[in-house]
Amino acid sequence: MKHSIFSPAIAGILATAFLAGPAGAFQGNSVAAKDCSYGGKIKSIEAVNAHTVRFSMCKPDPAFMAKAAFTPFGIQPEEYLNATGGGGDILEKPVGTGPWKLEKWARGDSIIMRRFDDYWGQAAPYGTLVIRWSDSGAGRLVELRAGTVDQITNISPDDFDSVKNDPSLTFIPVANPNTLYLAMTNTFKPFDDLRVRKAIAMGIDRARIVDNFFPGGSEVASHFTPCSITNACEGESWYEFDAGKAKAMLAEAGYPDGFKTKIFFRDVFRGYLPEPSIVAVEFQTQLRDNLGIDAEVVVMESGEFIDESTNGRLDGFYLLGWGADYPHVTNFLDFHFSSKNPQYGTPHPEIYKLLEEASSIGDAAVARPLYEDANNAIKAIVPMVPIAHGASASAALAGVKNAHFRPFGAPLFHRADPGKDTFVFMQNAEPISLYCTDETDGESLAACQQVVEPLLGYAIDSGAIEARLATDCSANADSTVWTCELRKGVKFHDGSSLDANDVVASWAAGIDAANPNHKGNTGAFEYYSYLWDGLMNAQ
Amino acid sequence: MMSLKGAADSLSDGIDEQWLQTKPISLWKTTLRRLLRRKTGIVGLILIGFMMTMAIGAPAFAPYDPEQVLIGKEKVRKREAPCIHLLGCPSERPQHLMGIDGNFRDQLSRVIYGARVSLSIGFTTVLFAFFGGTILGAIAAYWGGWLDNLIMRIMDVILGFPSLLLAIAIVAVLGPGIRNALFAISIVTLPAYARVMRASVLSIKEMDYVAASQALGASRLRILLTRIVPNALTPIVVLSTLGIASAILDAAGLSFLGLGAQPPTPEWGTMLGAERNQVFSAPHLVFFPGLAIMLTVLGFNLLGDGLRDALDPRLNH
Repeated sequence: MKHSIFSPAIAGILATAFLAGPAGAFQGNSVAAKDCSYGGKIKSIEAVNAHTVRFSMCKPDPAFMAKAAFTPFGIQPEEYLNATGGGGDILEKPVGTGPWKLEKWARGDSIIMRRFDDYWGQAAPYGTLVIRWSDSGAGRLVELRAGTVDQITNISPDDFDSVKNDPSLTFIPVANPNTLYLAMTNTFKPFDDLRVRKAIAMGIDRARIVDNFFPGGSEVASHFTPCSITNACEGESWYEFDAGKAKAMLAEAGYPDGFKTKIFFRDVFRGYLPEPSIVAVEFQTQLRDNLGIDAEVVVMESGEFIDESTNGRLDGFYLLGWGADYPHVTNFLDFHFSSKNPQYGTPHPEIYKLLEEASSIGDAAVARPLYEDANNAIKAIVPMVPIAHGASASAALAGVKNAHFRPFGAPLFHRADPGKDTFVFMQNAEPISLYCTDETDGESLAACQQVVEPLLGYAIDSGAIEARLATDCSANADSTVWTCELRKGVKFHDGSSLDANDVVASWAAGIDAANPNHKGNTGAFEYYSYLWDGLMNAQ
Repeated sequence: MMSLKGAADSLSDGIDEQWLQTKPISLWKTTLRRLLRRKTGIVGLILIGFMMTMAIGAPAFAPYDPEQVLIGKEKVRKREAPCIHLLGCPSERPQHLMGIDGNFRDQLSRVIYGARVSLSIGFTTVLFAFFGGTILGAIAAYWGGWLDNLIMRIMDVILGFPSLLLAIAIVAVLGPGIRNALFAISIVTLPAYARVMRASVLSIKEMDYVAASQALGASRLRILLTRIVPNALTPIVVLSTLGIASAILDAAGLSFLGLGAQPPTPEWGTMLGAERNQVFSAPHLVFFPGLAIMLTVLGFNLLGDGLRDALDPRLNH
């Protein structure tokens, strides 16, 4: 029998047994908000029976399944969460149900995983998965050509042709929608002045950046969200480049000779930013030449950069981007412009109110006018400047069967076959932690995905939702109640069996700020906060 | 017939006159003459002379502004290989002897201007270490006692750290940038100069001419500045020449790591760091800055070796 994970002192939490029954019968846990006044979408999560979980929403959420398939909503055993308290060991030793069981994380070197023989699905045709990393595109390619790794992420744009023409390698285009943006934080001067932000929006020649620094197939961003996503490109296109007008606007704001500032970035290769340091210098040049802005280029350590930028603590420009986690416009807009996200400074109600309303509408055609207004508001307010939607590619040794890179998420390595017992994958950087309930970093998520599974998942070649730990999730008529049926006979890597209380405990650790297991790595639990419009019991 | 005594007197007079007529040759003139007799010294001087000419005359020699982006100004491609008309590059294409970098800038101009930055770093840090080390080493050796102990133990502590690691730590605290890199390299270089100066002063202060000055009543400071320090400088001069080379290397290392000169400053280490990922697709972008660093360091090392030989009295013959 499972015990409640919730302290009786915690407001807003119900620790109620839902199913009365004989001793030894399943006792379901739940987590619930006192009421919906906290502004979030989730009202309660209940273990209805051992294999049924019910999500009750404060407002309809038609994107529920797309979100629930995302890695941060992965499931770990309730007992393990309680034992670690949602911190400590769980950051480096996740216990999941995935096809790979973590054996060792040698910090600074590699992560070694062994095949999980009790996996509920088709197990990997080989025994060991090794994840390594290198921030150098050339370094990754050298390792691949030397045969010391089997697949690499993000080949440098300059190497596209040589990889395509190399018969010993397979070129794998990555169809992940993404956006690079130049951000500003409106709580710092002079970015608190709309005229300054608008001047910057008009003073950057984005076509020049895309044409000269991005691989073929990349596009200048007309809107924040790539147009391949429904409702992404409703509303007006972004400002045309006009250096004269931009300079005049900057002068009007009181900066006729520009100002001194910084451009922060992390030197980590991304599909949306193939050569960070080179592109940063191009921004520096354009800001100087077009607007007279003297910007110092500052490289930051990846984890620190993400932490500082997403918490709105960078007092200059910063270069950041977004690769789609799930195929829905909310993944781009709701995450970045929600009322809870401080990364551009004070959030703008003109944007987030429209997004909150739009996200509860299931019919894309009905939601379209709201997204049109939201995109127009983003253009008018300029919290950031969308720059590009980048094309990117992965490469594998030609001998690897079914080498792939999913449009949404990292490869499903258990479906590839290197023709030997070990598959080595090399990505851009080391994961920050492996407790992805509280991570947003792509490298962390890629490693987590192999170990921990959510209720649902994305297909290998599209954004289609597939069953994972849940065999089915269905909604009531107005999408305010989602009921998920769990797969039976699923084992965790520690030998325990999956049941509905594990789902409740895993979600409660993320969504409920008062939960004893709500610790994580940084404690921000950004995906829970931004995708579900806020955390329960947040101070 | 001249007596034996008379013959001896006239011989002695002749020698004295010869002695009197011979102009004394200064140590530095002798050193230069000896240096020019050694091939390594000449090669070193030529290399350094070439680099210094490039640095001083950069605006005249560089075909472009080192920070000028050529997008829209010339038909060039990112990381384009060198185009040299004499070697068959079509004349309608603009000539770029070292190619184009990742930000569409002329690589040759950046390498030429890079000489300014790298040489300034080399000279400034060594100058600081030279004066700082000389003063500290001389004071420690001449005054001795607790002051000697204090100064040299501090130097020992600094020497206890790997120099580049300590420089990285200093820059990490102060923040990246060329000024902080200069300061960091100067600090980590200083103890070597202080130690050499101290050893030199310790041996010279026991010389008879120092004792003679003391006997004549000269003050300690006067003896130190006029009798001891000038005679103890020889090893420091050699060390400085070799030190410039290692300072340039350290600065390039810091810049390569992103802790030294910041973009868009054309510094060789920064240029190497920015294009390190293109070592196979655009090798010219790491080859030329690397070559410039190598030649400069080689020049200073050869000059240092030549100077050491020229200043060594045992090798006079």
